[in-house]
Amino acid sequence: MRSPAARRRWAILAVVVTVLLVSFVIRSAYYQLVLTQVLLWAVLSLAWNILSGYSGYFSFGHAAFWGLGAYTVAVGMIDFDLTPWLGIPLGAIVGGLAGAVIGYPTFRLRGHYFALAMLAYPLAMLYVFQWLGYQEVTLPMKREWPLLYMQFADQRAYAVLALGLLALALVVSLRVENSRFGMALLAIKQNEPAAEAAGIDTWRWKMRAIMLSGAFAGMAGGLYAVVLLVVTPESVFGMLVSAQPLILALFGGVGSLWGPVIGAVVLVPLAEGLNGELGDVLPGIQGVVYGVAIILIILGAPEGVYWRLCDRFAKLRPAPRIATGPAAAVARSPATRSVAGGELLVLRGLGISFGGLRALDSVDLVVRQGSLHGIIGPNGAGKTTLFNVVNGFLAPGSGEISFAGAALTGLRPNQVCRRGIGRTFQVARAFPRMSVLDNVIVGAFVSARDDATARRMAKAAVDRVGLADRASTIAGGLTTRELRLMELARALASQPRLVLLDETLAGLGPDDLAGILSVIRQVRDEGVTVLIIEHTMQAMVQLVDEFSVLDHGRLIAAGRPDEIVRDRRVIEAYLGRRWIDRVADVVA
Amino acid sequence: MLMKRRPTRREFGSGLVLAGAMGLGLRPAIAQPKEVRVAMIAPLSGPWARQGQLMRMGADMAIEEINEKGGIKALSGAKLTLVAADAGDSTEKAKNAAQRLLAQNMDLVGGTGAWLSSFTLAVTEVTERAQLPFLTLSYSDLITGRGFKYVFQTSPTAGHQAEETLPTALQLAEGATGKRPKTIGILMDNTAAPMSFAKPLREGGLEKLGLKLVVDQVFTPPLSDATPLIEKVRTGRPDFLLLLLSAMPDNKLVLEKLDEFKLSKGRLPLVGNGSPLGTPELMNIIGPDLLEGLLFSVADWPFKGDEEMVERFKKRTGEPWMTQDGLTAYGDMWILKEAIERAGAADRVKVADAIRAISLTTGPAAMSFPGPIRFDENGRRQDVPMIFAQWQNGVPVTVFPPELALAKPYWLKEA
Amino acid sequence: MDLPPFLAEFLQAFAAGVTVGGAYALMCIGLGIIFGSMRVINFAQGDFLMLGMYVAFYLTTGYGILSFLGPYAGPIIAAFLAGPVVFAIGWVVHRFIVARVTGLGVAASEGAGAYGQIIVTLGLSLILQNGGLIVLGSTPTGIRTPLSRSSWDIGPVLLNQARVVSFLVAVALVIAVYLFLARTRIGKGLRAAADNSTAAIYMGIDVDRAHRIAWSLGVGITGVAGGLLASSQSFQPYIGFDFVIVMYAGVVLGGLGSILGAFWGGLLIGMVQQMSTLVLPYQLQNTAIFVVFLLIIFLRPQGLFGQLSERT
Repeated sequence: MRSPAARRRWAILAVVVTVLLVSFVIRSAYYQLVLTQVLLWAVLSLAWNILSGYSGYFSFGHAAFWGLGAYTVAVGMIDFDLTPWLGIPLGAIVGGLAGAVIGYPTFRLRGHYFALAMLAYPLAMLYVFQWLGYQEVTLPMKREWPLLYMQFADQRAYAVLALGLLALALVVSLRVENSRFGMALLAIKQNEPAAEAAGIDTWRWKMRAIMLSGAFAGMAGGLYAVVLLVVTPESVFGMLVSAQPLILALFGGVGSLWGPVIGAVVLVPLAEGLNGELGDVLPGIQGVVYGVAIILIILGAPEGVYWRLCDRFAKLRPAPRIATGPAAAVARSPATRSVAGGELLVLRGLGISFGGLRALDSVDLVVRQGSLHGIIGPNGAGKTTLFNVVNGFLAPGSGEISFAGAALTGLRPNQVCRRGIGRTFQVARAFPRMSVLDNVIVGAFVSARDDATARRMAKAAVDRVGLADRASTIAGGLTTRELRLMELARALASQPRLVLLDETLAGLGPDDLAGILSVIRQVRDEGVTVLIIEHTMQAMVQLVDEFSVLDHGRLIAAGRPDEIVRDRRVIEAYLGRRWIDRVADVVA
Repeated sequence: MLMKRRPTRREFGSGLVLAGAMGLGLRPAIAQPKEVRVAMIAPLSGPWARQGQLMRMGADMAIEEINEKGGIKALSGAKLTLVAADAGDSTEKAKNAAQRLLAQNMDLVGGTGAWLSSFTLAVTEVTERAQLPFLTLSYSDLITGRGFKYVFQTSPTAGHQAEETLPTALQLAEGATGKRPKTIGILMDNTAAPMSFAKPLREGGLEKLGLKLVVDQVFTPPLSDATPLIEKVRTGRPDFLLLLLSAMPDNKLVLEKLDEFKLSKGRLPLVGNGSPLGTPELMNIIGPDLLEGLLFSVADWPFKGDEEMVERFKKRTGEPWMTQDGLTAYGDMWILKEAIERAGAADRVKVADAIRAISLTTGPAAMSFPGPIRFDENGRRQDVPMIFAQWQNGVPVTVFPPELALAKPYWLKEA
Repeated sequence: MDLPPFLAEFLQAFAAGVTVGGAYALMCIGLGIIFGSMRVINFAQGDFLMLGMYVAFYLTTGYGILSFLGPYAGPIIAAFLAGPVVFAIGWVVHRFIVARVTGLGVAASEGAGAYGQIIVTLGLSLILQNGGLIVLGSTPTGIRTPLSRSSWDIGPVLLNQARVVSFLVAVALVIAVYLFLARTRIGKGLRAAADNSTAAIYMGIDVDRAHRIAWSLGVGITGVAGGLLASSQSFQPYIGFDFVIVMYAGVVLGGLGSILGAFWGGLLIGMVQQMSTLVLPYQLQNTAIFVVFLLIIFLRPQGLFGQLSERT
C-alpha cells in the first residue's frame, strides 16, 4: 500500500542474497560471529517493530520473549535432550504465548504506562530464574551428533540460520505492512479512539501484534542461546537486551521495514568494533564514543535514518500517482429511506457523571432518519461527551441509547461502528507520509471483507467528499479544509447510516466553510443521517434541519433553527443572564 | 604506576595487515617465532573492571620477568607477549572478545581469564573449539564439568573448598574456646561459585561435621540493605556464621550491619570464603578495625616464599598488597611459560598436552599457587590445601596451612 | 523487652523499609519532577544519582574538603552540596543536548519527539557511566562514616543512623520542593508548562527555561539522594543501573506527575523490598517490587495520587 509490494519483495531477496554471499566470503570466525549477531539483533528489532514500531505501543520489555526463547532451547536441551531444531520453534510458541499472557492485562494501559509496565516483566523474570537455580546454564557439547543439535564447526552455518530467520521476519513484516493488519496498527498509533470508532477491533489487532512479535523474539532468543552456548538471566533478560531492539529501530527508522535492519547493520558492528579497538586501550572509551554517536545521529535524524533518507529522496522524485479511475461504482447498501423521517437514533434519559460533575443529565434526543441534526451549546456543555457515550467510549450512568431499534449501550466502539455509525474527531491527525487514500482506507476495513474491496470503498468515499483529484497526494501537504474532508471521507468509508461530526467546521474561513457545508449537505442527500456538533451558531443555522441545545449537560431546547435562534434560554446559555435583559427587545 | 600498553603505530599497522590476512583465511608460516603470544580475556570495563585490571597487572609483571630472564629458552629466547581483550559487561562481549582474539592472533598458544564464571563459560566454549589451552581461577563446578579437554582450573573445586574450609575453622574455634560449634548460619549470594560451594554442605556435608543449619539465607546481589538478613541471623542465634559473598559492596553492607547489631568483633564467630573479603577497597570503605581478625578461606593468596615477589608487585603498581586476582594471573603466565618450554614449540595443542602432563612443585609457577601444579583429565587440580587468610593490622595475610603461613592465626574472641 | 521472633523481625523489616525507602523516595521525587514537567523518560537518572554519590565522596573521604565537619556532619552536608553540583551538570546537559529533543520544538513531530528522548537519554547514560569509569576509576568506593554502622535502639528495633538521616533529609526536601512548586512563581510556571505548554507560552511563561529548571532540579534532587546513599553503601560508576527500576516503579506507583505521589511511591517500594523478606525468599526481593508495581499499574494505573487524562 505504500511502495508496491512486489518491488519490496525483490529488495528483500536482494538483501538476503547479498548477505549470503558476504557470509561465504568471510573466513574469519570472528566476523562470522559478529555477522550472526547483527542478524539476530536485527530479527529482535524487527519483532519489536511489529508491535511497537507500527502500533506506537512502546515495549521496554522485549527481553522477556527473547529470554524465554533462550531458556526454552537451553533447558530443553539440558533437561530433555531436545534438539534446538525443535527447541527454536518451541521458543516461538513460548514467545507467542508469553505475548498473549503479557498483552492481556497490559494493553489496558497506554503510552508511558504501557512502556514502563513492559519494563517490569523481564526484570521480574530475571530474579525468578536466578532463584530457580538457572544462574548459568550451558548447552552441552554433543560430540556424537553435532549436526542434530545444531552444533556446527563452521560458524557460517549459524549466520545462514540467522539469515533465514531474518528473511522470514522481513517477509512477515512486509505482509503485515501491506495488509489491513498493518493499517490497523498504524491507525491505532495515530489515534486509537478514532480507529476504534472507525470499526477497528483494536484489542484483537494489538494482541495479534504482540503474539507475533513475541514469537519472533522467542525464536531469535533461542538461536542466540545456540550461538552463545551460555545462558544467564542477566544476559537474556537484562535491561540492555530490552533497550537494544529499541535503539536499533529508533536509530534505523521506527515503523519501517528496513529501519531495524539498518540499525543492526550499523550499530552492532560499530559497538563491537569500538570494543575491539578501544576496549583495552582506554577502557570505557568505547561506551562514551557509542553514546556520543547515537546522540549525534538521532539529533540529525530524529525519526531514524530510513525516514531521513526517504524524505531526502522524496523531494527528488515526483509524488507517485495512484491510478485514479472514474468513480468506481461500488455496491452500496441501499439507503434505508424506508422509514423516511423515522427515528434512527434515540437517547432517553441519558446521564453520566465524572466524580462530582454531572456531565450529562437526563438527555433525551431523537435524530430522524435522513435529517441533518445539529447539537450546539457553549463550551463545556457536554457535546463531545454525548458523542463519546453514543460511540461506546464511555458507559452511561443512566438512560438508554437505541439505534435503528436496537440497543446500543454496552457495545465497544468498534462494534458501534459495525452497526453503522461513523464518527470524525476534533483533533484530526493524519499519517503525514501516506496518501489521502491510504489515510482513508482504515475506515473501510470494517465493512470490506478483503483489502481490494476496502480500497474501492475508500476511493468511493474520497470521491464523495470531492477529494478525488487529491487521492494520491501525501497527506502532509493538505490544507485544513482538505484535512477535514479527509476525516469525513474516513468516517464515510464504512458506508455508515449515521455519521457523527465533531466540530468539523471549527476554525474555517468563509470560503472553506462554504465548500464543506455543501459536501455535508450532499452526504445527507445521498441518504446518510448527519449529527453534527458545533458551538458557532452562524454556520449551523444555514446547515441543519433540527437543533438540540445543550448547556451544562442538560438539554435546554430543541427544534427548528428559526425557533432556536429566538429561544431565550439558548441566548441566555450563550451570552449570560445580563445580556438577555439588555437585548431582549432586540431579539424579539 | 600502572603500566598501560598502547599499541604502537607499527604494531597497529601490522596488526591490521595480519587481521586482513586472517580475514581472507591466510595463515602465516611461523617457523621459529620471535615472540610467543598468550591471551588474557578479562573484564576491563564495566562493573568488574577493577578485577580485570588487577589480573592484567599481575600478568604484565610476569611477562616482564619472563622476558628479562631470557624468554622461552626452548624457542631460542622468543619473547612472551600478552594480548589482552576486554570481556566487558556481558557474556556476549566476552565471547566476542575471545573470538576476536583468536581470529586476529592465529598464533596464540594459551590463555587466561575471564574472572566471572559466566564469562569463563562463554570464553571457554570458544577456546575449546579452537583447542587453545585456557587457565582460569573461576571455580564453579560447571566450568570443568563439561568434558572439555582444554580448560584448566587453577582453583580447587567448590566442593573441595567447602570440605576444607569448615573443618579447619571448627578446629580453630575449638582450639581457642574449648567448645566445638554445634549450629551454623550461612549467608550467601546466588552466584554460581557460592552455590557450588554450599551445595555439598547442604547435602550432608554439614551433618557429617555435626553442624545444624539454623540460618540459611540466599540473596540476589546486589544487596540493597542487610537489615532483614542480619535480623534473621540475630534471631537464629547460630554458633558460627559462614559468609559466601562474591562482591565487595555486599561484604561492606553485611559486615557493617553485623557491627550495628553488635554481632561483630568476635561475638558471632565468622568465617568467610572468597577473595572479595581481602580487597584494599574493603578496608578503605569500612576501616581496619571492623576487619581485624576476620578469617576467610580463599583459593589463592600470597604465602610464604612470595614475599619478595609481592614487594615487587607493590612497588610496580602502587597497590597496598597483592590479592588473588593479580597472583593467579601472574602464576598463569609462568605455568604457560613452563608448558611452552616443555612442548618445545609454539603449538597450542602441544602446549595443552604439556599442561596436562605437568607437575610443578618449585619455581615461580608453583610459588603462585598452593599445592603442586598438577591437573587431572578434567582439568582440575587435586590435593590443594585450602589457604586461610586473616586480617591482621589492616592487611590480610595467609595464616593457614602452617607451612604456607606468614603469620599465626588467632580466633577472634569477644573482648 | 523480649518480643516473639516474628514480631521482632517484622518491626525490624518495617523500620528498614521506611528508612531505606526514604532515599528511594528522594530519588523518585527527582524523577517525578522531570517526568511530571517534561513527560520525558530519563534513562540517565540513575547515573545522575551516581554523580551525586561521587560528589559527596570527594567532598568528604576523597579530598577531605569537609573533613573539618567531622565524620557525622560531613557526609550529610556533602550530600546537600551534591545537589547544586549535579544541578549545574544537569543544566549544561539540558542546554546542549536534551533541549533539542524535548519541549516545544519537538511536540509537533511524530511521536512528540519521544524517540529522540529515549535514544538521547540512553546515550547520555552510556556516556556518564563509561566516562565515569575513565575519570573516576573502577575501584568501588564509599564514604567512611560511623553513621552507617551505628543505630538508635528502640527496644529490639535498631534504626540505622545513616538511613534515618537520609529519611529525614528526604522528608525535609519533599516539603521544600512541594512548597517551591506550589508557592513560588517559578514553581507555578513549571506546573503550567507541564499541564499545557502551548497555553503556558501564551501566558508569558518561558517553557524551555521552565523545562531546564525542572530537569536540573530533578537531577539535582536525585543527586542529593545519591549523596545520602553514599554513606550507606559502596558504589562504582555503573551503579546507576541498579536504581533506575526502583525509581520508575516508585514514580509510577505514586502517580506520574505528582510529587507527593513520588515520595510515597518511593517509600512504598522501599517497604515492599525490605518487608517482602518476611514472607518470600530473600532472592525474590526485587521480584516482589515488580509484582506490586504491576498490580498497581493494573488496578490503579494513575497510581496513588496521579490523574488519568485521556482526550479523545
